[in-house]
Amino acid sequence: MNSNSQMILQAENITKRFGGMTAVNNVSFGLKKNEIAALIGANGAGKTTFFNILTGNYIPEEGTIYYKGQDITRLSPERRVDLGIMRTFQLASTFDNLKVIDNLRLAYYRANNKATLRNIFFSRMDRIVSAKIEECLETFNLTKLADRMTGQISLGEKRVLEIAMSMVTDPEVLLLDEPFAGLSEVEIDECLKVLYQQVHKKTILIVEHKISKIEDLVEKVGVMVEGVMIASGETHEVLNCERVRREYWKTAE
Amino acid sequence: MKRFLTSSTGIIIVFVLLFLLKGVLPAAFLTEVVIYSIYAMGCSFLIGRLGLTSFGQPAFLAFGAYGAGIYLYYFGTNSYVAILVGVLASLLINMLVGTFLVRLNSSYFTLCNQAFCVVTFFLFQKALVKWTFGDNGLLLISRMKPTPVIDLTTTNGIYLFAFLVAIGVWLFFNYLLKKSVFGATCLCVKDNEQKLRFLGYNTFNIKWLAFVIANTVAGLAGALYTVYFCMVNANIANVSSASEAVAISMLGGAGTLFGPLVGSFLFIGLKDIVSQFISHWEVLVGFLLIVVMLAGQKGIVGSLEDFFAKQKSEGTPQTPALTEEGGL
Repeated sequence: MNSNSQMILQAENITKRFGGMTAVNNVSFGLKKNEIAALIGANGAGKTTFFNILTGNYIPEEGTIYYKGQDITRLSPERRVDLGIMRTFQLASTFDNLKVIDNLRLAYYRANNKATLRNIFFSRMDRIVSAKIEECLETFNLTKLADRMTGQISLGEKRVLEIAMSMVTDPEVLLLDEPFAGLSEVEIDECLKVLYQQVHKKTILIVEHKISKIEDLVEKVGVMVEGVMIASGETHEVLNCERVRREYWKTAE
Repeated sequence: MKRFLTSSTGIIIVFVLLFLLKGVLPAAFLTEVVIYSIYAMGCSFLIGRLGLTSFGQPAFLAFGAYGAGIYLYYFGTNSYVAILVGVLASLLINMLVGTFLVRLNSSYFTLCNQAFCVVTFFLFQKALVKWTFGDNGLLLISRMKPTPVIDLTTTNGIYLFAFLVAIGVWLFFNYLLKKSVFGATCLCVKDNEQKLRFLGYNTFNIKWLAFVIANTVAGLAGALYTVYFCMVNANIANVSSASEAVAISMLGGAGTLFGPLVGSFLFIGLKDIVSQFISHWEVLVGFLLIVVMLAGQKGIVGSLEDFFAKQKSEGTPQTPALTEEGGL
């Protein structure tokens, strides 16, 4: 069991290598309940690899991940969803051959049912009806697109849909991988509005290149450079830290 | 209710047409079409819904066929029971084989299925020759006794029975393709398997069940084939016919409800009719397949569905949901 009981999600001394390259080197980072945090760094800094380790896409060579004190380092992504951890992808990741509303229905269905073969075989898509789905459509301005095929909507709309798919599951921890990539300013504002509504309600980790968009939203920041977490802590403290100014701002700005 | 009526009406219309054709076309031809369409339905489901192309379908056909054949040759005389045994044998094999094969993707899945087909052919032709009689096969005509309700030993009886079975299979796939959460998750496996995993769905289980369903339906077609032809030999598993189910699926429209029926009609038609005039009838199938694929890659039914959808939407860019309309 993890000694730090304050943390809902805690990664300790994580190291991940690909062949001879160390993508993530002895990184530790934790999220408190209902805290919104960001992981920033330039391209190739190891943010997404670390993120993939948190979500179960990769198993680290060294280190441990705790969720509510339980070791989840080797747990499959499906089991992590059961625990309440949900993620989005860097590239908008939706189901193009389904209708927009069916994307939300599938996400909602899984969050509220065990996805056994028996269950999914005997459940009908058109019977997955919930006020939560309608609410999500409305919140994310997707109502008019509900019956459109996802393959026919814009990249920005897909990005919004993906975040909506995560929110409809009402996760305990939401991990967003570059949620604003490819979005217009208006769409970014819409997404931020939704994220601001979650302040003190949900635990969220956002991976971003640049902090500027989310500086006021996040309470905690971790800065990664070449696979190493060079600083982490309260947002303004970290951003004013000498090493961050020297190594991160020089790289990213 | 409206959707139910639409899909069910479609199925009824198709089968009334098929039944009326009995007065024009020989029952033997139509029976073969119906059995082939059941055979291709599973393959079409795998290609259209999961993006898995299998060149091992003859193997799955053969397990159903031999299940029925061995029962009739060694154990009993009732064709109903034989079909049931064929389906169960196929189900068990598919549950076992699926556990290994669905771990593979794209070309690896295709090639390993083909390899399994080669192994199956060897099994029935050589390894089990003592019981299967290899290329000579099991001759069952004297071992099948008339069955109650529908006599499966008569041409009309087996035609009617295959017909009813096909309706059942169509209704089953209608549910899978258009209504169930399972059908939608299968489509998601093809679309974005990783995302589905991260929504919490076990994609291995989904692919496994899809594999078992698709190939057990092929086994059912195999069992019907044995009862219809009153014999089964090792050639049913011959890898040289591995492309037939894929060609029928692609020709008609993979993943569509009626694609396999249309594909079978064309395929068997070309085989039975054109082969009377041209010895290499496969050449025509090849050309036809290329033309249909170049015309839109969705097969005849898929392309027609797109065409009517465009007509319906009167030029607006929005097309109806494929999950609703039975397309890919």
